[in-house]
Amino acid sequence: MRLTKTKTVWVILLLWFGIVAAQAHHVLGRPSYSLGEDSNTPPSLQVETQIGDFYVTYMAFPAFPKPNEQGRVNLYASRIDNGLPFDGKVTFKVRDDSWFANEVETLGVQDIDEVVYRQGFIFKDEGDYIITAEFESGGEPYTIDFPLRIGEPLAVGPIGITVAILVFVLLAVNILQRKRRFGLKAKRAREENNS
Amino acid sequence: MTMTHPGLPELWLWFALVVMALAVLWVLVRSPGKSATQGFVNVERIPLLGQLAKLFSASPWPLLILKFISVALFLTVIAAGLFGTPIPERNLATTLTWTVWWAGLIITVFFLGSAWCAVCPWDTIASWLVKHRLWRRADASSSLGLKVPKAWRNVWPALAMFVGLTWLELGVGVTTNPYATALLSLVMIVMATIYMAVFEGKAFCKHVCPVGRTVGFYAQLSMVELRPRQQQTCTDCTTMECYHGTEEIEPCPTHLVMGTLTQSTYCTSCSACTMSCPHDNVGWRLRSPAVEAIQHARPHWDEAWFMLGLLGLTTFHGITMMGFWEQGLSRFGQMIGDSGQLIWSFSVGMVLVFFAPVLLYSLLIKLTQWLMPIEVDFKQLFSKLAFISLPLAFVYHIAHNLNHLIRESRGFTDVLLNPLGRDALPLSSNELHMRHMNPLISEQLLYGLQAGLMIFGFWLALQILQKRSMETLSGQMSWRSHYLLPGIVFIISVTGFNLWLLVQPMIMRM
Repeated sequence: MRLTKTKTVWVILLLWFGIVAAQAHHVLGRPSYSLGEDSNTPPSLQVETQIGDFYVTYMAFPAFPKPNEQGRVNLYASRIDNGLPFDGKVTFKVRDDSWFANEVETLGVQDIDEVVYRQGFIFKDEGDYIITAEFESGGEPYTIDFPLRIGEPLAVGPIGITVAILVFVLLAVNILQRKRRFGLKAKRAREENNS
Repeated sequence: MTMTHPGLPELWLWFALVVMALAVLWVLVRSPGKSATQGFVNVERIPLLGQLAKLFSASPWPLLILKFISVALFLTVIAAGLFGTPIPERNLATTLTWTVWWAGLIITVFFLGSAWCAVCPWDTIASWLVKHRLWRRADASSSLGLKVPKAWRNVWPALAMFVGLTWLELGVGVTTNPYATALLSLVMIVMATIYMAVFEGKAFCKHVCPVGRTVGFYAQLSMVELRPRQQQTCTDCTTMECYHGTEEIEPCPTHLVMGTLTQSTYCTSCSACTMSCPHDNVGWRLRSPAVEAIQHARPHWDEAWFMLGLLGLTTFHGITMMGFWEQGLSRFGQMIGDSGQLIWSFSVGMVLVFFAPVLLYSLLIKLTQWLMPIEVDFKQLFSKLAFISLPLAFVYHIAHNLNHLIRESRGFTDVLLNPLGRDALPLSSNELHMRHMNPLISEQLLYGLQAGLMIFGFWLALQILQKRSMETLSGQMSWRSHYLLPGIVFIISVTGFNLWLLVQPMIMRM
């Protein structure tokens, strides 16, 4: 069955909206760093995001936690239409943000405390983690992922990949050129022998 | 906390509008001249500048020293991005790349043409890795030296890269992410190296690099150019070292022949021609910034799209820094069920803004085609008149970037002294406020420059429209001013909208 151009466009649009709809209510926030108005407040890592019917602000103290250091996550969720805070239970979970780790641990389930949901944490090991806040509203589940780095970042990965690609490309070109030269020499030798 | 820069005061807006109205009247009423100003001055005749130009033409070392500095800074940017603080305003990767370099680069094009390409760090690193030479001509076997496939010999890849870069910059937020900025830098090195290892010359610079092509197209409006000192010497030349190179010096990496060079778009200012010419006949000269876009540059379909793309994307930069954009994005996100960074909503907005000027331009070209007394091919007219979008994009790009550079680059010396931002804290509200209140130059001067630039771009666009429209008729018919009306509507619409954007308060980036 062949689709006309117009139908193809409609199919693509429907698929696109389908993907967007399926993605809704699950976000990975982009962190920014801010210093509180009160200069005694330590810098915090903050994510402001929009998810479904809510604006969510997510803050982590301190912004750069170290292993075995007490930290805290604050979550504010207010409805986009009327600004009223979400009043229910929020479950905080954590998982290691590395490629082969998928073990999830529940940090706690929190009730609202003066428009804020607070969750404490202590990490023993350095690494990249994803903290997840989950709640339900209007029968729909909401999941917000929030990246958190404990300790100093590891940067060997990108440099290693870059060096590996460069070495591979340069070696491949070198080998191909050697083959080319060898082929040319052989061709010349054959021509000389024939003449 | 979001802070905004104040927009252009209304007084400046009205001043610009009055001057523009007079300019339109002038163009409609006066009879057009034959050609643009051809005058130029050899840079070497200017004291100090001349000596500097000679220094760079005579020996490869001054340029090589600049390349070393550029590569050192670039590697520091990568190190700072990967190992430094994630606070964008305290990390060299984000401040140098986005606030100083990317904002300042466009301004330098006006004064120095494509000089950036001569010291570009990713091209330099790729050259050193592939050719194993600091500057001398490399062994032909260092690269596969393949010809770029015919389908890729255009600027469509560069346009796609520029769209991608804008999406990463404004949609994903690379500008406020030092780590992602470093990754982007590494990707540029890898791409430049692969291209150099596989294809002949500098195919990456010519067809793919979004920075190189942006600089190249804007260089058409630069006040300097690299050209033969005596045209006759080039006409009589049979050896063409500028094109073929010498034993020591590389040939022109973008296959330009100095004797027939009429546009600077693909010149990378690498100095190979100045050093290889046995007659010492190639040098820098000052010129009217309008002359190339008005009459010398040749129209091409892909290049026309790149210029219109530049226009759409520079305007898009401005739009994304307005309060109404964020509100609109949020509402649209809710409508289609988009969440988080609203990437889908952003992408739809970006596509709309990208195609809006192209659509308007196409309609007006169709109208011009209808008004013209002779039959003109749509594609030909589209390509020929697309040059009017170049000054419109260029001046708005500079006016917008001036805001970033002048209002946001305070504190850069602190970042230079602590490039990785070790133990640095995020900017407090007080520091942010102080930066906001203390721009590098006085606010009135900034406003004057912005208004002046918009008028200048408007005037250049009118000149280009008039000369190129006349050229289309090529003396077959008598000239009528109303042939220009659709083009004037386009120029007024774009400039009017960009001026309106400048009047709005702009959200501070970091």
